[in-house]
Amino acid sequence: MRFTIYQESRQGGRANNEDRTSYCYSRDALLMVIADGMGGHHHGEIAAQIAVQTLADSFQREAKPSLADPFRFLQKAMNNAHHAILDYSSRRRMKDSPRTTCVACLVQDNVAYWAHAGDSRLFLMRNGRVVAQTKDHSRVRLLLEEGMITEAQAAVHPDRNKIFSCLGSPTPPEIEFSRKTPLAHGDVVLLCTDGLWGVTSGELMAVSLKGANLLQAIPMLLTQAETKGGPHGDNLSAVAVRWEEAYVDEASSAISTQTMALNEVTTRLEEFGRNPAYKSDLSDDEIERAIEEIRSTIEKYTPNK
Amino acid sequence: MAQQANQALPNGHPLEEYVIDRQLSLGGFSIVYLAKGADGKQVAIKEYLPNSLALRTDGQVMPIISAEHLGAFRYGMKCFFEEGRALARLSHPNVIRVLNFFRANETVYMVMEYEHGRTLQEFIQKHQGHISERFIRGVFTRMLNGLREVHSHKLLHLDLKPSNIYLRADNTPVLIDFGAARQTLSTDQPMLKPMYTPGFASPEHYGSRKDLGPWSDIYSVGASMYACLAGSAPQAADERLKKDSLTPAMIRWDGQFSDRLLEIIDWCLNLNHLYRPQSVFALQKALVETVTPPQSKSSPHWLNRFVDKFKKAEK
Ligand SMILES: Nc1ncnc2c1ncn2[C@@H]1O[C@H](COP(=O)(O)OP(=O)(O)O)[C@@H](O)[C@H]1O
Ligand SMILES: [Mg+2]
Repeated sequence: MRFTIYQESRQGGRANNEDRTSYCYSRDALLMVIADGMGGHHHGEIAAQIAVQTLADSFQREAKPSLADPFRFLQKAMNNAHHAILDYSSRRRMKDSPRTTCVACLVQDNVAYWAHAGDSRLFLMRNGRVVAQTKDHSRVRLLLEEGMITEAQAAVHPDRNKIFSCLGSPTPPEIEFSRKTPLAHGDVVLLCTDGLWGVTSGELMAVSLKGANLLQAIPMLLTQAETKGGPHGDNLSAVAVRWEEAYVDEASSAISTQTMALNEVTTRLEEFGRNPAYKSDLSDDEIERAIEEIRSTIEKYTPNK
Repeated sequence: MAQQANQALPNGHPLEEYVIDRQLSLGGFSIVYLAKGADGKQVAIKEYLPNSLALRTDGQVMPIISAEHLGAFRYGMKCFFEEGRALARLSHPNVIRVLNFFRANETVYMVMEYEHGRTLQEFIQKHQGHISERFIRGVFTRMLNGLREVHSHKLLHLDLKPSNIYLRADNTPVLIDFGAARQTLSTDQPMLKPMYTPGFASPEHYGSRKDLGPWSDIYSVGASMYACLAGSAPQAADERLKKDSLTPAMIRWDGQFSDRLLEIIDWCLNLNHLYRPQSVFALQKALVETVTPPQSKSSPHWLNRFVDKFKKAEK
């Protein structure tokens, strides 16, 4: 694996920072996580901390050096984080459990896998364009999808912070998975909280990250966003990686084994006729009955006969 | 072991109320004929005749079934009945219509509407590597209408592949060959182990099969779309489980087709069934990408599920 990575979190205009970020990697796998603790529920930063910690711990335990099933890993780790938050709040007899959004991305064998709950986002950027991104689990996104509001209205909508999936709430989170996404050389994967994407569009960020050194470009983006966010601006965080390898085809011999000519494809009658388990003493009567049944079904389902 | 091929019934041979016109295909499990009904209408008749178990030599009508093979022959007949049962209940423009079912010559026959056209496999072979995105989206979207109907009857096709997708002259697709179709929710009888085709069968086909579901047919749909682009079948799922050397569509045809289509193909071809589209509807939705028109009223049920996130509140 070859990549450059950078993470940073800023307080913005808030009294405390409830965002948490983390990344870790083994020889063959990389994990990035961002969580945005929910302020309305007390101790959002605790929920965010537990989420990021749980994912990182799971990764350290299981990535030896790669993960058997990346999606399953994400599913398990995010669910464990959810339960860890609930356990924490019940141990402390908290009236209301702390909650957090979470987006996590794994890269292994030059393939990216990600999962999210809530409105923290992942953008995959290629050649200065956004080629994939997560869909927020938010009310405004649903309204947008249904065509009830426009992008411009969404940006200032009073409900823009309402989300319907998160870790730590009494109802289990809806975790959404990406597709298995091969990475190309130079691809940038950016995870960020709404403090950043809320004031700078993904398209704009993709343009400014094109070919740029992330170690300089990300702090610049954050500074710009912080300025735009103003004196009361939200916490803002980002983890970004530039992938310096590409998903490459295995040796060309792999192709020849996979390209069986279509006309050579045969239906395999699996053990049929040879395996003694596949025998039946279907009697003549049973045959007659089966045929009768099929014929009457045909009758029944044939329109106007 | 070389096997003697079965002989088809001769042209002009009367069979119940039909007369055989000619043989359309000869497979390992059955022979399909073009025939004419008493009303002069053309039909396709599928004769159950598994090559390894029943032998019809030249000039014979009755196949020879040895006592040793009778049990297996009857077992296969059960599968053939499953096909008849499955199709009898389906009445949909994108699913082949079965018209009759009868017993003759020691075996059984299924009569279907005859469709003029060719299979998608023949089409792919003719247009090697030159199939347009529009064609693929058009054929598969409509084919999926048929598959939705199949699934809505709690049935799985389980042998979807280009040679089982028939294209009428106007390129509307028809699903044929329900020889592997199984009822998903029949608990009263053990599931008959269906056949499968390497390259198009899902990973679940190879395992204990308890994970078979709509997503298994969806894998085969993805493999069929992949075959449209590649001109040949993708690497078989059992081999992929050992060592996955299938180049994702996103990589192999980058820039030649829309990212969206390539992404959908890779989505369907996920080895883990949980990460494929879970229903035909979800897949169709992605494939047609219609912009949902504005709705006048919002549904209140999901509104209740929102939790407030008063993050912007000042402390
Ligand atoms: N209703 C039909 N109309 C026209 N051709 C058909 C019809 N049914 C089958 N065929 C032809 O016969 C071939 C084999 O039929 P199929 O049902 O797939 O049986 P098999 O089990 O042998 O694969 C098809 O590929 C197609 O060319
Ligand atoms: Mg067939």
